[in-house]
Amino acid sequence: MVKKNIKVLLSTLGLDVHSRGVLTVAKYLRDAGMEVIYIGNSMPEQIIKAALQEDADIIGVSSLGGAHLTLGSDLVSQAKKEGIYDERVFVIGGAIPDDDAGKLKEAGFDEIFTSGATKEVIVSSITNIFERKLVN
Amino acid sequence: MDKNKETTREIINKNADKNKGKPLFSRVALDAIKKEFDKWKSSNVREYDRNNWAVTPQTMLGSGIPREMIYSPLNISDLDYMSDLGNSGQAPFTRGIHPNMYRGKKFTIRQINGFGGPEDTNERLKFMIKNGATGLSVIFDIPTVQMYDSDDPISRGQVGTSGVAIDSSSDMDILFKDIPLEDITISIVTHYPSNTAILFPMFLAAAERRGIPWEKLRGSVQNDITLEEVVRSGPEYIPPRDCFRIQCDNVEFIRKNVPNWNFITLNGYNLRDYGTSSITEMAVAIANGIQTIETLILRGYEVDWIAKRLAFFWSISNDFFDEVARIRAARRLWYKIMKYKFNAKDPRSMWMRCHVQTSGITLTRQEPLNNIVRAALQALSATLGGAQSLHVDSYDEAYSVPTEESALISLRTQQIIQSETAVTEVVDPLGGSYYVEALTNDIEKRILDEVSEIEKLGGYVQAIERGWIHRKVANYFHSEQAKIEAGDIKIVGHNCYKSSYKTPPIDVFKYPQGAEERQKEKLAKLKESRNSKKVEKALKNLEQACRSDTNIVPYSVECARHGCTEGEIFKVFKKAYGLWKPPVFF
Repeated sequence: MVKKNIKVLLSTLGLDVHSRGVLTVAKYLRDAGMEVIYIGNSMPEQIIKAALQEDADIIGVSSLGGAHLTLGSDLVSQAKKEGIYDERVFVIGGAIPDDDAGKLKEAGFDEIFTSGATKEVIVSSITNIFERKLVN
Repeated sequence: MDKNKETTREIINKNADKNKGKPLFSRVALDAIKKEFDKWKSSNVREYDRNNWAVTPQTMLGSGIPREMIYSPLNISDLDYMSDLGNSGQAPFTRGIHPNMYRGKKFTIRQINGFGGPEDTNERLKFMIKNGATGLSVIFDIPTVQMYDSDDPISRGQVGTSGVAIDSSSDMDILFKDIPLEDITISIVTHYPSNTAILFPMFLAAAERRGIPWEKLRGSVQNDITLEEVVRSGPEYIPPRDCFRIQCDNVEFIRKNVPNWNFITLNGYNLRDYGTSSITEMAVAIANGIQTIETLILRGYEVDWIAKRLAFFWSISNDFFDEVARIRAARRLWYKIMKYKFNAKDPRSMWMRCHVQTSGITLTRQEPLNNIVRAALQALSATLGGAQSLHVDSYDEAYSVPTEESALISLRTQQIIQSETAVTEVVDPLGGSYYVEALTNDIEKRILDEVSEIEKLGGYVQAIERGWIHRKVANYFHSEQAKIEAGDIKIVGHNCYKSSYKTPPIDVFKYPQGAEERQKEKLAKLKESRNSKKVEKALKNLEQACRSDTNIVPYSVECARHGCTEGEIFKVFKKAYGLWKPPVFF
């Protein structure tokens, strides 16, 4: 059980057409007691704006279309520029090859979830990173 | 659609006993079999099996239909061969739409291709033809699918991903360079009515420039409201009614002007993979088909003129016999709908022609080579079901678009089925199986029941507007996910037979560099060289058409001829129709 009500902002990255994954994760996180806001298709700048407006702790983006490196890295670098990176957790999920997952980690994502990631893994990872990064 | 009018199911049930009267199994034989069966069941069969006689397989995207331990003539006791099955190419077409099926024409090997800019995909198309693809299929990148130009800020970082970038008609020239458009059938995967009305005219204008008359073109477009308004996630939608109007405009225009082109491939695949059962997939596509035909009839056309170029697109998942039976069920059901509801006279109007794709969501990221087996089994069931053309998903589905190697294996899967297994030598080989015939009957009934549900809501477009179908799909995939988490739906390597053995990493496709820059350069040059007065006028005329009752497609063709971009045309749709927000459920 979570000590604080974690607020999660979820988005489909850019123009990606897929939403089954992100909606599935939305339900996992809400069932785990987190507050979840889903803003649909959004570009990095819109995600940052919404994260600030909603005061989200966790920002999660979904990408199955292949734009994870370009837009994903863009999101994190913009977050750093805006000065909101340190107090928030950034995660990404989708159809992401292993090499690219490494690059996304280097770019600053706290965790990458590829297809096959289970509910347990997603919920516990996010909770642990949140506690490690933000509660300290 | 009038909620109080007769449903399709009522019409079909009224005609159910037509031509019946020659049951295959004699009463005497059935009685004797029943006596022995009951004896066998009580004395030979274990108590546990008796008590668990019917089990429901838990599979991805499955039908949820319980299966008995064994099937016999008792399960299909009133089967009338000529009335329920017929011979192949004969009403009710259960056994196939042609007498000779694959002896006459093997299923088309039609793999999807698309990545980078048109010059990149052109290379892959040639590679596929060289290695035995018998039909082409082209899919568009995310910005093109969503109808934004490559130089639109919203397309940044996504140009050329998941498909090929097409911004204007001149990109079509590059995409199909050196490809004999008159000699090969092409599926242009324009998912939506809106992007069909934009991209297909661009293709037509390109054919025109090459001097190819439109009557010589053969292939398909998707043109399905399900994709635009239900399945896709996108930043902007036009209202369902306007989307459906465009769907019908596309049907009307293409039927008139490109007579050998399939103007719609009712979905089907994408809806199911998004998350729904094999039954709902078919009910939705059929309800959509019914409403489309009804609308075209209201526009003054004869059903036999409309229906012969209508086609379907199914997903093929793992429940092997379910997949075979449902293709047969859809054939018989479509025949009945065309004959009894629409009074079609031409047999061609009654054929349920289909392209199929093996299900993407059934493939795993772990142990990816296992996916070759999954896809092969799915392809085999589609073959036994009698599909007209196939796309076999590649094993790297969970990673990226296919490499040449993985695309080649998908080709080979189909070639092996066709050349080595002898499965295609006999028509409808599973026909007559007590199990398959019983399942075919059951599936047909369930599909028709769901079609009725949709009709009672006022029709398919209404079902979309009210969020009914969105909610149904969300409920389905959330509950399916719970079953996977619980291990009820078994996925080898994921939730059962998990191994700490690390399979060697696979080669993953790397998108070619520079597609975005190249497209932007081309767009800049295009905007300089085209006649901006003509562009403006064409867009204005298109907007006028959108706001009136006239068919919008000829105006879109004019736009294509003058070098309008996709983004410019989509802006016109948005301006004319306004925006709609679909419901989201989680």
